Amino acid sequence: MRRRRGRRWVRLLRAAASHAVLILAVVFALFPIYFIVITSFSTIPIASITAQVLIPKVGQLTFASYRAALYTQSPAFTALLENSLIFAGSAAAIGMGLAAFTGFALSKFNFPGRRAFVYFILIISLFPSFLLIIPYYFMFAKLDLIDTYPGLIIPYSAGAVVFSGILVKNYMDSIPDDIEEAALIDGLSRTGAFFRVLIPLCTPVLGLAAFLAFVGPYTDYALAHVFITSSAKETLALNLYAIATGDTGEQNYGVVTAFALVMSLPIVAFYIAFQRYIIGGLTLGGVRG
Amino acid sequence: MTGLRLEHVTKKFKEFTAVNDVSFEVKDGEFVVVLGASGSGKSTILRLIAGLEVQTSGHVYIGDMEVDDYEPRDRNIAMVFQSYALYPHLTAYNNIAFALRVRRVPRDDDPDRYRRRTREEIDERVRHAAELLGITDTLEKKPAALSGGQRQRVALARAIVRDPEAFLLDEPLSNLDAKIRSSARIELKRLHDQLKQTFVFVTHDQSEAMTLADRLVIVDHGRLLQYDTPERVLRDPASQFVASFVGSPDMVFLEGAVESRAGAASFVLGPVRIPVRGETAPGPVTLGIRPWDVSIGPENAPGGIPAVVRGVERLGSSDQLYLELTAPGAAPAPGVSVRAMGRAYENQVGDSVSVSIDPDHALFFDKDGARVHSLETAPPA
Amino acid sequence: MADLRDQTLGFRLRREWPAYIYLIPTTVVLLFLNAYPVAYTVYISMTDFGTGGKGSLLYYHYIGLANYVTALTTNSSVTLTLLENSLFWAAGSVALFLAMGLGLATVMNQELRGRAVYRTLILLPWAMPAFITILVWSNMWQYDYGIINELLATVGIRPIDWLGHADSAWAALFITNLWLSFPFYTVVFLATMQAIPKDLYEAASIDGAGSFSRFGRITLPYLAPTIVFVGLMGFLFTFNNFYPIYLITSGGPGISTQIFITESYNQAFGSVGASPHLSTAALYSVLDFVIIVAITVVVVWRTDLTRNWLK
Repeated sequence: MRRRRGRRWVRLLRAAASHAVLILAVVFALFPIYFIVITSFSTIPIASITAQVLIPKVGQLTFASYRAALYTQSPAFTALLENSLIFAGSAAAIGMGLAAFTGFALSKFNFPGRRAFVYFILIISLFPSFLLIIPYYFMFAKLDLIDTYPGLIIPYSAGAVVFSGILVKNYMDSIPDDIEEAALIDGLSRTGAFFRVLIPLCTPVLGLAAFLAFVGPYTDYALAHVFITSSAKETLALNLYAIATGDTGEQNYGVVTAFALVMSLPIVAFYIAFQRYIIGGLTLGGVRG
Repeated sequence: MTGLRLEHVTKKFKEFTAVNDVSFEVKDGEFVVVLGASGSGKSTILRLIAGLEVQTSGHVYIGDMEVDDYEPRDRNIAMVFQSYALYPHLTAYNNIAFALRVRRVPRDDDPDRYRRRTREEIDERVRHAAELLGITDTLEKKPAALSGGQRQRVALARAIVRDPEAFLLDEPLSNLDAKIRSSARIELKRLHDQLKQTFVFVTHDQSEAMTLADRLVIVDHGRLLQYDTPERVLRDPASQFVASFVGSPDMVFLEGAVESRAGAASFVLGPVRIPVRGETAPGPVTLGIRPWDVSIGPENAPGGIPAVVRGVERLGSSDQLYLELTAPGAAPAPGVSVRAMGRAYENQVGDSVSVSIDPDHALFFDKDGARVHSLETAPPA
Repeated sequence: MADLRDQTLGFRLRREWPAYIYLIPTTVVLLFLNAYPVAYTVYISMTDFGTGGKGSLLYYHYIGLANYVTALTTNSSVTLTLLENSLFWAAGSVALFLAMGLGLATVMNQELRGRAVYRTLILLPWAMPAFITILVWSNMWQYDYGIINELLATVGIRPIDWLGHADSAWAALFITNLWLSFPFYTVVFLATMQAIPKDLYEAASIDGAGSFSRFGRITLPYLAPTIVFVGLMGFLFTFNNFYPIYLITSGGPGISTQIFITESYNQAFGSVGASPHLSTAALYSVLDFVIIVAITVVVVWRTDLTRNWLK
């Protein structure tokens, strides 16, 4: 009896310690997010931020920052959003198409040179994308594409092509060959089977590829900063950087956080909704389990 | 609806020869079963007919047309896969209708031009096929929601809904539970009788093959060993391999020798001599006999081979006995078991018995397993 | 489709040629947007583009390996600092990711009330776009109005000039980076741990293994491939992770937290008005790339990581 009771105490202690560790981790994880949310609803000006801000008082909460972020900014939030959606949406669509073709070729064909091709794209993709901006600038300047929509959409589309191509390939590998063969027997060419059978079966992974191809451009600052010179094409990310670092003069932290939250909301929702799936995809099948 | 033909077809995967110079012809409306162990090349034969693989040499004909360079879709054959290969994203209905939607048909007014089938035509055909297979109630479900038996029926319906030249079936029953497998077998046979179309069916299960086949193609290591009706394959196997592969329980093989004494030849196994006639050099020979042609008698029965009962397997109508030959100097060496049909209540483990074989049904094979057709048992003088 | 690996070349080409058609778009994109720019960068790194002193960007000359010689001789202290910083940044971050990820995953990999809730809450930082949260963090680290110093003040600690000293700047960077990435590592390790067959642990318990020995003998070996894989991916990603350093310390104070990628970007686009030092920027790009490729090749060769992709 005594020994068993002793074990029970150990178990309880262990559970308490586990909860303590996890609560600390959650506090660490949530604190900045909590801070952003609280600040976005707060009326206190930036200069006088103290730790007391963290405990909100009912009377001090306001939507003023959201109103300011959404309605009184210049350029207008909707205009920024429109630009971001044009850039990121086009990149997502093109990137998804490229990934589908690449994944199909690499998964369902065993063409001479396949291995060499995979090595080639893997090595080439190791060159840091931020550093491609330098040669891009001169290439696109020569083509007169600086400060144009295609000028950004083209490099954005290429951004995730290797990663999502391999992502789609791994997914297609898991579709049995005989499904495709059944389609050939049913009267389709390989291209027909690709479009009518494999593509519909790959919807989840293509959705993920599109999403990943979307998030990069949607939150890109580095390339847009160099390529966009007119305010008519300014994006959400560029504007957020400007207001957060005070480039525009006054620095209203409430507006910055409200802006940031509105901008990230759709991304967060998507990540949380499809977390398991996205994590599986991000490890590219290199992880067991 | 037509027959098909393979002419000296060989399929090599560089070092490995999966199909080795195989020729056979399937008649219009015939049900042919390709029987072989796994890795024997039987599935490759089916895939070559379908066009999913291209042969290294030889020719494939569908009807009278050589189709070597035809894509699978242009061969107009239907195929049922071992895994069923149903499209997971489509309902049973849409799985069945898929080929009808994809393929075009000649126009009534101008047979050289093609049109898509109308929704009504497709619906009528899908419902007819579903009715034939009794899956009308499951048409709106997706494959994941169907049982194994239902999936198999959907796969069959997908094949019969079209008007193919022939049906290719790749072990379509092997993924079913043992319980429904035998009823599915009967049903498939009934379907073939109804459709009267050409079926090529691949399996490794010899009893399935014996039940279904009009004719059997037996393959091993890519080679065709025998192409004949089940009855003839059973009664007149081309080799020891074929003899051991078909028939249940397994054929009994007894290793003895042919001896010639005073101008008369006989098969000798220990004290037992079975007169044979024929022209074969004396030497080791294997005698093959079906278990039901083996009878068990009391110890020391004249002409019998002495044996001891080592095991009894109760099957019901008759029991299977495992016997060990005990004849002094007998080949095979003691310990090799011989299976025979008998009555368990008459014989128990440990009993000494004698084994007699029906000489009319004995077959002889040489040491390489080839059939020795020249030898046959002579009626007792 | 069918495994045609052992077929002759001509036979394979006859059946598999459509693959090339499907690869045309991606190949064009990769040649135009990756291969050519990389080659162009290598070329620029061998010119005096922006550093020639003529004052005009349009006149530059091929000068061979002169820039490399300079980087490794007269300028070697800067190059060395960038190399050290880049490696320290990547290796230090990955060490933290792995430690915290493994630790939390181990804690979460037991019967615990509210485990799913913890999991979702811990994942939130990962779900927020990094560019946005890094901007917020960079404000949190500020000396005069940053919330971190305000919080420290409530427990009586005097404000720290986080970004003003090399050590504290690194601390700020590592904490921020850890916050960005630990959720992902925790969840990946947890998923892998949960896939370990339970009977392995039961068998070990019956054999008398304690919880530490079970971790060392079962969990770690089982996790090893995952650790190597996500560790390498994390290293490659962090080595070239631009935003944390660019937005929080800008490489400062001085160049004490500067890494190749941020220094390269700064040389090219950083100083408004001054002539961009494009050849220097290209030089750092090339060095960065060479190091990354070398590390990857060594790790991949030794661990067979790409088996899934080449199958």
